Amino acid sequence: MKKDKEKKFMKPGKTNKEDRLNFVKFWAEYMKTHLDTEWSNQQNILINSLIKFKK
Amino acid sequence: MEYNEKTREIKTDKELNNLDKFALEFLNIIKKYVDYVIISGYVSILLGRTRISEDIDIYIKKISLGEFKEMYKELLQNNFWCINAEKPEDIYEYLKDNLAVRFSKIDSPIPNFEVKFPKDKLDEQVFEDPIKVILTKGEIIISSLERHIAFKRYFLSSNKDIEDAEHIESLFKEFINYNKVSELKRLIKKRNVKK
Repeated sequence: MKKDKEKKFMKPGKTNKEDRLNFVKFWAEYMKTHLDTEWSNQQNILINSLIKFKK
Repeated sequence: MEYNEKTREIKTDKELNNLDKFALEFLNIIKKYVDYVIISGYVSILLGRTRISEDIDIYIKKISLGEFKEMYKELLQNNFWCINAEKPEDIYEYLKDNLAVRFSKIDSPIPNFEVKFPKDKLDEQVFEDPIKVILTKGEIIISSLERHIAFKRYFLSSNKDIEDAEHIESLFKEFINYNKVSELKRLIKKRNVKK
């Protein structure tokens, strides 16, 4: 997937449901234009704050 | 993240999070004993969706009680436990009755694996077209993108599920066979009518 870093903007949704879907699309576009290590680093802040891993 | 349609493999250099590490530890044990396919929410999360889930849904192929006991023994040795029952016979009976059983690390019910046998032909088809996700430290087998989208959109259908489907469609739109999604939609509706 391409990795150009042109800034993309998200259209605000008219309802909460539409806004959430717009963010899902925005995030997918962000993933396509950033390295896996970059997007996953952000995703992991959310996941690791809630899920602890016990080896 | 790259999808190779021919080999049905998705390769990613993503940094593994705690949910991924938990998944790999469990899957590296059970794959020695049984074929599995991850379905539902964790498929989207594994592929980048920004949400959390306390469980990972998984189908395992039907195995004998003897094979299940061997697998269960190794899970116990690695500090996993079943939160539904202790005796392997009881857990296996739940599975045979098409009930899901949950496994987590001892003293840590979250996250957990929700394990089930496929209950009908439509569920069994999940083993016919899976995708292998190749991570930096292991591999995870997931359901096809079309199956994931169809079940999220036309079976589960909550806002969260629609968003999960949208995430996969936005990421992989050029690879998705929408005829296959439509056929799965038809089969899901047909099954729902029968119930």
